Amino acid sequence: MTPEEKLALIKINAFNYLRTDWLERLLEIFGSGQEILKQTPKTLSEEGKISLETAEYFLKSALELDAEKEIENTAKVGGHIYIKGEEGYPEEFLNIKEPPLVIYVRGELTTNLAPTVAIVGTRKITPYGRRATTKLAGDLAEAGVIIVSGLARGIDSVAHAEAVKRKKPTWALIGTGIGRCYPAENKELALGIIENGGAIISEYPFMTSPLAQHFPRRNRLIAALSRVAVIVEGEVKSGALITAKMALEQGLDVFAVPGPIDSPTSGGPNKLIKEGAGICLDARDIIDALPVNIKSTLKTQEIYKEKEEVSDLSPEEAKIIEAIGTGESTIDELSVKLNMDVPSLSTILFSLEVSGYLRCEDGKYSKAKI
Amino acid sequence: MLASVLSSAIKALEGFIVKVEIDIAGGAPTFTIVGLPEQEVKEAKDRVQAAIRNSGFDFPLRKITVNLVPAEIKKTGTHFDLPIALGILAASGALSNLAQNKLSEMVFIGELGLNGKVHACAGVLPMLISLRRTGTKKAVIPLANKEEGEFAEVPNFGASSLKEVVDLLEGKILFHQEYQSPKVEENLEGFDLKEDFSEVKGQALAKRALEIAAAGGHNVLMIGTPGTGKSMLAKRFSSILPPLTKEEMLEILQIYSVCRMLGKGKKIFQRPFREPHHTISNIALIGGGANPKPGEASLAHNGILFLDEFAEFSRNSLEVLREPLETFKVTIARAKDTLTFPAKFTLIAAMNPCPCGYHGHPVKTCNCTPVQISRYKSKVSGPLLDRIDLTVNLNPVNYKDWQAKSEGETSAQIRERVIKARKIQEERFKNSKTTANAFMTVSEIKKYCPLPEGGGEILELAMKKLGLSARSLDKILKTARTIADLEGSKNIKKEHIIEVMQYRPLDRKGVSDI
Repeated sequence: MTPEEKLALIKINAFNYLRTDWLERLLEIFGSGQEILKQTPKTLSEEGKISLETAEYFLKSALELDAEKEIENTAKVGGHIYIKGEEGYPEEFLNIKEPPLVIYVRGELTTNLAPTVAIVGTRKITPYGRRATTKLAGDLAEAGVIIVSGLARGIDSVAHAEAVKRKKPTWALIGTGIGRCYPAENKELALGIIENGGAIISEYPFMTSPLAQHFPRRNRLIAALSRVAVIVEGEVKSGALITAKMALEQGLDVFAVPGPIDSPTSGGPNKLIKEGAGICLDARDIIDALPVNIKSTLKTQEIYKEKEEVSDLSPEEAKIIEAIGTGESTIDELSVKLNMDVPSLSTILFSLEVSGYLRCEDGKYSKAKI
Repeated sequence: MLASVLSSAIKALEGFIVKVEIDIAGGAPTFTIVGLPEQEVKEAKDRVQAAIRNSGFDFPLRKITVNLVPAEIKKTGTHFDLPIALGILAASGALSNLAQNKLSEMVFIGELGLNGKVHACAGVLPMLISLRRTGTKKAVIPLANKEEGEFAEVPNFGASSLKEVVDLLEGKILFHQEYQSPKVEENLEGFDLKEDFSEVKGQALAKRALEIAAAGGHNVLMIGTPGTGKSMLAKRFSSILPPLTKEEMLEILQIYSVCRMLGKGKKIFQRPFREPHHTISNIALIGGGANPKPGEASLAHNGILFLDEFAEFSRNSLEVLREPLETFKVTIARAKDTLTFPAKFTLIAAMNPCPCGYHGHPVKTCNCTPVQISRYKSKVSGPLLDRIDLTVNLNPVNYKDWQAKSEGETSAQIRERVIKARKIQEERFKNSKTTANAFMTVSEIKKYCPLPEGGGEILELAMKKLGLSARSLDKILKTARTIADLEGSKNIKKEHIIEVMQYRPLDRKGVSDI
C-alpha cells in the first residue's frame, strides 16, 4: 500500500458511522481510498447506493481530517495506525462483520495465540460485582491470561486494574479516540496498561470524543479479540449483554457469573445462564474453556490447588466480617449489631480496610475479598 | 433661631453621635435636610411636620434647615424624626428654658408616626452601646425598643409619643435612672433548649462527628439521602454547644438590632441557627447592598449556618463564604468606606449523595448515571471543602433501629463533654488569638499535634491504600486533637487518628474509584 493510499484510508475512516457495510462496497467500486476522495457526493451516492446526505457528510468528514496529523499524534503517544490487511492489523478482525478499516493502537498488540478472555460488565458496579471481578480477573491474570475489556467505569476498570496490579498485559478496546481518556479518572489506569505491556485499541480517529453510538460498536471488537467472554454483572438491557450477543455471534464461549435473583445488575448474567451460557464460579471454569494449546501455555497450578482456609483475623475482626456478610453495612448498623461504639469500631474497620478485607464506599462497608 | 439636638447613627455595627442642627429663619416656608441624608431621612420632613401638628404644637411656617453633623457621612434610618421634631420645637420657642437645658443632656432616637407616636427603629442597641463607650449620656428611645435597650446598660427612657418626650423635658414625667438589667447570665445558663439529640434515633457516626465539631469548632458536611435526619441533626447542633457568654450574646443582639429582628418579647439566649435557601443571592448571604446590612453569615454569628442542598448553591455563593470562614468577619469594601460585620459561625452543610438523592438507598433506586453522580460530588470540591474538617455519610435508619427503645444520649450529656474539651482548649490557647482546635495555625498544629508513635505509618497506609490526599493532613491532625481533648488525653493517640479517617470519605478518591 502506498503512503498516499494509507493517508486516504485514514481520512475515509473519519466518518462517525453507525454501519459501514457500504464503505466496503465503495472501496470495491472505486478501487482505492484516493479514488473515493476524488468523487462528488452525487457519484458516491449513486454508485454506492447511499443517501446523498450520508455521502456529503462522509466526504466532508473525510476531507476535514488531517491524516498526517493523525499519524504524527499517534506516534507522539507511542502508538501506531494499522490499515486493514496491513501487517500488525489483527487477523481476528478480518473474520467479523464490518471489520474496522483502520485501527489505532497504543502499546503492544500481538494477537496470535494470545490467551485472551473478555471480562465485561456494568458501570454501576455493586460490591458483589467488584469482589467477583477482582477475584476472577486477578486469578486469570496471575495465570497469564490477557484480560480484554472496554476501560469503562465499573467492572471493566476493575478487571483491567487487577491485571495492571500484577504487572500483566491487558487490552482495552475503547469507544473514543486513543488520544482521549474516557472516563477521565481512568487516566492512571490507562498509563498502567501501557506500562505493563498491554494495549489500548480504538477504531476511531485520534481525538474522537465519547459518543453514545461508539460504545456498542466497539463491543464487537472486544469479542473479536477474545477466546472466551465472561459477563460479571449487567442489567438485562446493557452494553455487557451486547458484548455477550456479539461473542455468541462470533462463536465464542460465553460465561456468566450468577448473582442474586433480585439484583438488577445480575439480571443480565442470570438471563444468559438461563439461556444456556456457561456458569462461571471461579477462574478454573474459564481456563477449562480455553483451547488446549493455549491452556498449556498458562501457569494454572495455583488456580487448581485446593486452598486451605487460613484466617489471620482476630476474633473481633472476624466478628465484624461476619456481621457485614455479603451485603453492605454502615458503621451505625455495626455499632447497633455488635454493641460497640464508633471510636473503637473505627480502629478495627480501618485495619481491615487497609489490609484489603473490607472496602468502604459512601460510608458503607462491604467485603473486598471472596 | 438655632437649636441642636443629639442623636446617633450607625456605621456597620458601630454607633456614633450625630448632632442634629436646626435653623429657623425668616423667608418663604421651606424645609430642607442636609448632611448626606438618604431617602428615608429626607422623608422625615413630612412625618415630622404632621407629628408636630398632631401632637398639639404649631409647626413654624418659615425657612427650616436641618443639618446632620458630621455632614460628610451618609445618614440612614428613620430614627432622626424625633431629634428633628424636638429641634424644631426648641428653635421655634415652643420649649421652656428648663426643657431646652434638658434637651442637651440626652440623645434622642426614634421614628415618628403622623399622629405623633414614636415607632420602633433599627439599630437602637448598637447605638446605645456606643454611648456607653463615648460617655454617659441618657438616651430617649422608642418604647418598642425598650427591651433590647436594656441590654446596653445605659440610662434610657422608652418614649411612646412626641408629647410624652416633651413632657419629660418639661419635667412633668421623671426619667427613671435605673434600668432593669436583664438577668443575662441566669438566662443563658438555664435556657431550655427544646430540641434534644436524644430525639434522633440511630446515626451514631453523625452524632459523634457533630460532637467533635462542637468541641473543636470544626465545620461539618453531611451527605445522605432525603429523610436520614440531616436537618434534624443540624437543628439540634446548638443544643450541644456551650451556652452563649454575655459578650457573645451582645454581639448577636447588635446584629439583630440593626436588621430589625428584635421584636417585643423576642429574646436571644440561644445560639442562632440560620438556614438560607440555596437560591439565596450573594448579597443576602454575606451582607451588603446600597446601605450595607449584615447577611445570613453575620446573622449566624456565634451560631450555626446550615446550608441544606449544599451542592445546589451557586459556586459564587459558596466562594463568598470563604472570607468569613477564614477571617470570621465579612468586609464590605466600597470606594468611600470599608465596613466590617462579624461572622463567626459553624458551617453545617448537607447534601444528597446524587442529583436524584437516592444513590446508595437500600430500597429506592437511583436514576443517576455515574457521570452525573461524580459531577454532583465534584460541585462541592475545592477551596470551601478545604474549610470543612468533618464529612459524614448518613444512611437511612432501618425500622428496627428506629423502634429501639433505648434512647441515645441527651444533649446535656454531650454538651458536658464538649464544655470540658473547650476548657482544655481555652487553657491551651490562652496566649493566642486562636479560640479552638479548628482554627489552629500551622505552627500551632506543629506544637500541639505531635504524631503519636506509629501515627506516621497509619497516615502512610491511609494515603497508599485509601488514597487519602496529603493536603488533608492538617485537618486530620486538628480533628484528632479535638478527639483527644474530648477524651481528656494529653497527647493524640493512634486510635484518634484512625477515627478521623471515618470523617474524610471524600478524600478517598482515585484509588478506590477504579
